[in-house]
Amino acid sequence: MNVNENIYGLMAEFPGGKEILAAAKSAHEHGYRKMEAFTPFPIEGLSENLGQKKSFVSSIVLICGIGGGLGGYFMEWYANVISYPQNIGGRPLNVWPMFIPITFELTILSGALAAIIGMLALNKLPEPHHPVFNVPEFERASTDKFFLCIEADDQKFDLNATRKFLETLKPEKILEVEK
Amino acid sequence: MNEILFRLNRLQKISFAVGILFLILCGFGVAIAPQKFFISWLWSFIFWIGLTLGCFNAAMIHYLTGGRWGSSTRRFFEAGFMTLPLMGIFFIPVLFGLHFLYPWARPNEVSGDKILQQKIIYENFPAFLARAIFFFGIWILIATRLRKWSLQQDLMSDVSPTIKMRTLSGPGIVIVPLTITFAFVDWIMSIEPAWFSTIFGVILLAGEILIAVAFVILLLAWFRPFPPLAEIANEKQFHDLGNLLLAFVMFWTYVAFSQFLIIYSGNQPHEIGWYLRRICGNWKFLAGAVVAFHFFVPFCVLLFCAAKKNIRRLAIIAALLFVAHILEIFWTIAPTFYRDGISIHWTDFAAWLGIGGMWLGVFAGNLKCHPLLARNDPQIENSIAKTANA
Repeated sequence: MNVNENIYGLMAEFPGGKEILAAAKSAHEHGYRKMEAFTPFPIEGLSENLGQKKSFVSSIVLICGIGGGLGGYFMEWYANVISYPQNIGGRPLNVWPMFIPITFELTILSGALAAIIGMLALNKLPEPHHPVFNVPEFERASTDKFFLCIEADDQKFDLNATRKFLETLKPEKILEVEK
Repeated sequence: MNEILFRLNRLQKISFAVGILFLILCGFGVAIAPQKFFISWLWSFIFWIGLTLGCFNAAMIHYLTGGRWGSSTRRFFEAGFMTLPLMGIFFIPVLFGLHFLYPWARPNEVSGDKILQQKIIYENFPAFLARAIFFFGIWILIATRLRKWSLQQDLMSDVSPTIKMRTLSGPGIVIVPLTITFAFVDWIMSIEPAWFSTIFGVILLAGEILIAVAFVILLLAWFRPFPPLAEIANEKQFHDLGNLLLAFVMFWTYVAFSQFLIIYSGNQPHEIGWYLRRICGNWKFLAGAVVAFHFFVPFCVLLFCAAKKNIRRLAIIAALLFVAHILEIFWTIAPTFYRDGISIHWTDFAAWLGIGGMWLGVFAGNLKCHPLLARNDPQIENSIAKTANA
């Protein structure tokens, strides 16, 4: 294994979305797993081509949403039935239709907060600095260039072999990313 | 195209045969049990005009906002709203049954009721008729313009028809729901003169767009294996339509529950009676079925991505919603007349199938005489390219 301690990974620069889709697919077929693509705008199918699995965010949102809803209902039930029961127009104490708005709002609130916090946590954000910013060309990832970065942590990563593989994808440039 | 054309031809023939057969039965219904017949006719008419107007609004939403979901569905929505003239004809029988349906059309009842006497300035036969003509006139005017431009766009690469469609859909999406609200005040709400709800039109409209989407999902699932739909009606297309279905399930629930909550909180005699009549006796089971199948089951299933991407499962949910909407319309109208509990008469089936058969026949005719995929629309071309690449 030819692995340089100071290298974060190898990055290839592509001119367009079609090229990066093909490159991601080919890299995944060649057994690379720890890699990431950077594009100026979302490209449909890219995460599938990279072999990324479905994220846990939706499950987190579902669980927190249900939890928030139950919590909201419990709060109202406790206040109206146990803590301070009042007869309001002869309605039952556990007057569920009146409890729905708060239950609904708390479901949405908990779900939305869980989505944001869960997304940040799973992405390990906030992260003030990332090695890819060490490459000056990477600035253009937010304007007009498409990058595929294979990380040195990948089991198949080998500085020379991976560079040769990336060359077969016909990128515009191949860049070394320092740590 | 051949297989689709073959199926459309067969659908059209069967639909017209069913429609004509049951319309003849409806004729016997008028003679034997006129009141029951007119109740059946009213709710069946409301259901099918609902599907028509749902297609109308869904199409206008797509003209305005674009999006991939419209590329395979647009011609279905257009064929749906082009049944408006037929629905105008089916409105005519209602005019002959006014005194069976609407308390304001029964002079002896009006003379003994203060509320009706005050409302008679608005709810009277000439005004009712004039408004209905106005509503159908404005809907057909907008609908025929949109359809004409949509077909024009097929023939030219210049995008001016698309721009015209978008320009008309802007005011259209304001005018049409507003007129729908007024129409439903006339046609449905006035069966109970003391009751009113300002959100009523929105509830029905939300349900209508919902079943229009459900209806198109069913057709797409049926036609999917064959060109030209095969190239475009893929998993992603169904995922988008499933999301749209979920959005309208939630919207319908939101507005329907809002109305219930406000009336429940107020607990005023003239308002709460509407709900009391709809849960008395075994009507409450129908109310429960509407909540379960118009909201709870589809909502829970559609939350999951896998259910929206699986075309079979999505089609089952769409069919469920379609049936649930029939129940909802029946539950909205019939309890006013049958105060003791659920009462189903053979005219209910005859009217629903009679109107529905003719509707589907005209729909299939509209669909088969023009290309199933709209051409030269810049957004649709774009979405076809995207689908093909992915």
